Amino acid sequence: MTLPPVAWYTLEAFIVLNAIILLVTYVTLLERKFAARMQSRIGPYYVGRPHGWLQPIADALKLMIKEDIVPAAADRGVYNLAPIVFLVPCMLIFATIPFAPELGVADLNIGVLFFLAVSSLEIVGLFMGGWGSNNKYALLSAMRAVNQIISYDLPFVFAALVPVLLAGSLQMSAIVTAQEGLWFVFYPLIGQLAFLAYLVATLAAENRVPFDILEAESELVAGFRVEYSGMKFALIQLAEYAHMLGTSFLGALLFLGGWLGPGPAWLGPLWFLGKAVLIFLLVTWVRWSFVRIRVDQILAISWKLLLPATIVLLLATGLVVATRGAGGP
Amino acid sequence: MTLEAVGFWVVAAVLLASSLAVVLTPNLFHAVLYLAAVLVTTAVVFLLLGSPFLFAVQLLLYAVGVMTIVVFAIMLTERLIGERIVQTSRHLLNGAVVAAAVFVGVAGFLIRAPRLVPHPAAAADATPAIGRALVGPFAVTLELLGLLLVVALLGALYFARTDE
Repeated sequence: MTLPPVAWYTLEAFIVLNAIILLVTYVTLLERKFAARMQSRIGPYYVGRPHGWLQPIADALKLMIKEDIVPAAADRGVYNLAPIVFLVPCMLIFATIPFAPELGVADLNIGVLFFLAVSSLEIVGLFMGGWGSNNKYALLSAMRAVNQIISYDLPFVFAALVPVLLAGSLQMSAIVTAQEGLWFVFYPLIGQLAFLAYLVATLAAENRVPFDILEAESELVAGFRVEYSGMKFALIQLAEYAHMLGTSFLGALLFLGGWLGPGPAWLGPLWFLGKAVLIFLLVTWVRWSFVRIRVDQILAISWKLLLPATIVLLLATGLVVATRGAGGP
Repeated sequence: MTLEAVGFWVVAAVLLASSLAVVLTPNLFHAVLYLAAVLVTTAVVFLLLGSPFLFAVQLLLYAVGVMTIVVFAIMLTERLIGERIVQTSRHLLNGAVVAAAVFVGVAGFLIRAPRLVPHPAAAADATPAIGRALVGPFAVTLELLGLLLVVALLGALYFARTDE
């Protein structure tokens, strides 16, 4: 079958997008079940017995038929556009992730940089939602988001650059290939510290507990999305989980060797998925174990601890690479 | 027309429309959003020119960094404290004259430049070359820019400190 390239790309994008949306939908079920088990509950059970495997579908249907309310004083254009602007970068980040050798939308030679650049664009949509709602809580939440994004973007990038330096490439597939001998998380000292910094920065970048001051259910109700309902709310939720999942995939790729693992080659994508889910569960574990910390504590952790630590780590990695050469120990 | 040309004209139209919107909209927050659109579209122009590296850097530095700071400034000065600031473009005519002059200058340069020069084949991967240039021939420039940013940071700290 020969298709014109445009049709072929459209088809490919359609398949990847739908697969990701399905995956993201089921990640919410995973989180709910995991959280429930941590609290000695069962979690979703009745919709799709046993174990509530139809719950995400039911949630999606419910959100679709809900009434869509636009606040009277909202900045309508901005308010309506915000969920879409928020969702697009969160979906685009999957474009450069290779799920196995030669299996991905685009394996750019600057893949990691593309991921970092596009994923940080979500802040624009978040602002638009927080501002356009014309709500005190939403605006406060958007302000806190700015604060947090400025503070944690740098440590996040620096932590992600450590594997890039070790592999000597910004290309995602090349980074995985460089880990064939040794996953970067096992690289003596540097690997573990960078992975830890990556996890902490991920928590902050995804606004997860203990860094969730911009959602803060008990004071800001739900932050920037408090005025959203129905499908727009669903889009925002979808975008947030997609971003979280994308960051987990990046972490698995940078530190845990991507699709590398024992077994035949076709197991690769499953290995990759498993590792990404592992990172997702690590983050979820933290979420359900800690309490929210204060704004000044969040800023102090970033500027006084994480940023200097990642800079020193990056310098040390540069030194190691300069003396021993890139591409694994 | 090739697909690439169609892409260019669409991007150019969006870029022009949002640039005009930045200066013409009375709402300051909308102006910032249009500015974000301008910066992202410029990044797409880089992508069309075959430089994904500049695309990513443009997004990372301008679209995100500048946006964040501008919005932060608006949020701190506008709705939370005091009333709304309305953007008034008082020097619209002067601006139009200057823009037209710049356009004539650039267009004149482009018209006189030899056309139909075969497109020089871009290196397969220009990113390492950019990196080497930044620490090689342009090292001093890079360091001076870094110094400038540090000075700006110190200045911000000076203005932001609390009075004792």
